[in-house]
Amino acid sequence: MFRHDFIERNAFLLLVLTLVVISIGGIVEVVPLFTIETTVEHVKGVRPYTPLEQRGRDIYVREGCYVCHSQQVRALRDEVERYGHFSLAAESMYDHPFQWGSKRIGPDLARVGGKYSSDWHYAHLINPQSVVPESLMPQYGFLAETPLETDDIAERLRTLRMVGVPYTDDEIANAASDLAAQASPNADNTTLLKRYPKAVTVPGNGHEVTELDALVAYLQVLGTMVDFADPANERLQQ
Amino acid sequence: MDIEPSDLIVGLLMAALGLIGLILASGAMDNEMYVFGLSLFGFACVFEFGLLRRHFDKLDASPHG
Amino acid sequence: MADVSLAMPLQSAPNYNEAVVKKFLIASVFWAVVAFLVGVYLATELAWPQFNLGLSFINFGRLRPVHTSAAIFAFGGSALLGTSFHVVQRTCRARLFGGEALANFVFWGYQFFIVMAALSYVMGYSQSQEYAEPEWHLDLWLTIVWVAYAVMFIGTLMKREEPHIYVANWFYLAFILTIAVLHIGNNLAIPISAFSSKSYSVASGVQNAMIQWWYGHNAVGFFLTAGFLGMMYYFIPKAANRPIYSYRLSVVHFWSLVFMYIWAGPHHLHWTALPDWTQTLGMAFSIMLWMPSWGGMINGLMTLSGAWDKLRTDPGLRFSVTAVGFYGMSTFEGPVMSIRDVNALSHYTDWTIGHVHSGALGWVAFISFGAIYYLVPVLWKRSGLYSLRLVSWHYWIATLGIVFYITSMWVAGIMQGLMWRAYDQFGFLQYSFAESVVAVHPYYVIRLLGGLMFLSGALLMVYNLIQTVWSRTTEKTFVAPAVLAAAGE
Repeated sequence: MFRHDFIERNAFLLLVLTLVVISIGGIVEVVPLFTIETTVEHVKGVRPYTPLEQRGRDIYVREGCYVCHSQQVRALRDEVERYGHFSLAAESMYDHPFQWGSKRIGPDLARVGGKYSSDWHYAHLINPQSVVPESLMPQYGFLAETPLETDDIAERLRTLRMVGVPYTDDEIANAASDLAAQASPNADNTTLLKRYPKAVTVPGNGHEVTELDALVAYLQVLGTMVDFADPANERLQQ
Repeated sequence: MDIEPSDLIVGLLMAALGLIGLILASGAMDNEMYVFGLSLFGFACVFEFGLLRRHFDKLDASPHG
Repeated sequence: MADVSLAMPLQSAPNYNEAVVKKFLIASVFWAVVAFLVGVYLATELAWPQFNLGLSFINFGRLRPVHTSAAIFAFGGSALLGTSFHVVQRTCRARLFGGEALANFVFWGYQFFIVMAALSYVMGYSQSQEYAEPEWHLDLWLTIVWVAYAVMFIGTLMKREEPHIYVANWFYLAFILTIAVLHIGNNLAIPISAFSSKSYSVASGVQNAMIQWWYGHNAVGFFLTAGFLGMMYYFIPKAANRPIYSYRLSVVHFWSLVFMYIWAGPHHLHWTALPDWTQTLGMAFSIMLWMPSWGGMINGLMTLSGAWDKLRTDPGLRFSVTAVGFYGMSTFEGPVMSIRDVNALSHYTDWTIGHVHSGALGWVAFISFGAIYYLVPVLWKRSGLYSLRLVSWHYWIATLGIVFYITSMWVAGIMQGLMWRAYDQFGFLQYSFAESVVAVHPYYVIRLLGGLMFLSGALLMVYNLIQTVWSRTTEKTFVAPAVLAAAGE
């Protein structure tokens, strides 16, 4: 007859059994998400972030914006009405790391792209209370004072490619010029748009690209990639 | 000199880590890596000093010291 | 089968390594004050955003992980590492494995991690994954320290003189092993260069979300629960001078808890793009988890059977027992919030914050206070605590603080949830998001008050413990008038 006392007198057995027992749940819940194909929908429009958008995202991540802002519209009626179509898994497939968030001290940002002008975003980020008096958001004016470090942009895209984001050699080679083109309204952005459809050019301050420019470029693309009006995207089943 | 095996292993480990810290700081691409590398090196130095101090204190306190 | 034999004299008690335990206890109390102080400042920023001062390094986004890391890893972690070293030595009747050097490495290495992590956040470096914010180089450092910790703990188990492994050690062991697995699993990332602190996670999107909450919920389940249950299983019987209520319950409770907790992660992702099957599994296990959790609560509470009077006379024990009560409350609230339809209301609201803090303040902090109040006189060889009255004051102020905190957050959270989903008579959404922000402001102020009270109680504790260690009145040889002879002053 099995006696638990036997395990209690054998440290190695206790260790091994514990390791086995705690591994089961993780394996069952995580592994199939990689193997079941329908986990991430096949939908048109989702593309890797442009170099400027990706830099903006990196700033969003390092500043801890997810602490107040979620990026995940739930499949609930009132939520869809307030923020737009519920978020698809495909829309964050290139998000390393995901930023779905777990708290809304501020509104959800999953579909904030295109809802406000870039000028509004600049004003809001520099002094949120000037456009939303009740806002609890801190002021991010320091981002406008900080020039964007662009030396490592190719390394960033290359590393992202290593973890599965399909940047092409062409895109990596032109990272710096694409970034510059997206940050100045007078530049020719035809090649940028060919590589990255729906990329939004930000006004900038005229002489240098700042961290604020990158962040606004990122915010302006959020939720805009998938065209939900397109009938071909209608059947989105998991 | 009789060195405790624990002191030796940890001492060697910390020395290696301190060296890594210095190397990281030397090539640091951002402030964080620079601060981390130097701090790790500093931490290793202080820790090694502590190991040596304790070893010799024990030696002095013992009958042979 | 209890293993508490206070009266049994040991022929030759081993030379226990008490120095490292003392260091961790001091660190734990220090970080507790830091964590509560930062928490109070964050609460102030949420009540009045002017307190962000336009400064990058103290704004809410950068400061929040300082608070969560300080509370969980610095305060909680130091308490766990310290008490685990004390408990494993005493219950195994063996000195800590690995020598003084390794013990010092684990202590100072852990403190180094804490300081570096906090510094990195305020400097603007973070992976922005909850409770796993430190960047890759700090994650690697923690892994090294954690392996050393595991070697010390497991090594001590292996060299034990007492053949039977006491139940507290099963929980500490499960905590150590599982945190190692979770930490490595969730922090897989590739730096853009060995010389850069920036990295990108290997996983993305929905898979990253699942892995994060497999980790995140079990940071709660194993760091904040299993580890502290280990603390409970030692310090409650010790302080009450009673055996653990039920051996059989310990066995069932342990295995069912460590098995079930792992599955609960998806309840953080209800109604999201995580597949339905995963959400349902997470919900089912979260609800079932109520049972092993309450098994632990019953085992802890019923240990007081025959010794309930001690709650009157031993305020330190009062903390531990109240902790178990809050544990029961939180482990009922959690499963309720894991139900998809309840979660539809609660997710993203302050109800989640209320739930977190009833567990963090009510369970984690209180059981730690109980252990610390017990251990400090023992380790520093004092006659007792400097002032039992101060402990009592701490207890009541802190408990009231918790009540203010959680009730204000319940009201704020449910109000937010209801406002976000309210429709007017024309079928349009009734409230703008900004209106919900305005509505909860008074509750943010009450929450701040609750936090201030909790901090004040902790400061009383700091004063009391310093006096316990230094005052003449607590010297073991000090002979005082009849005052000291009275139990509980």
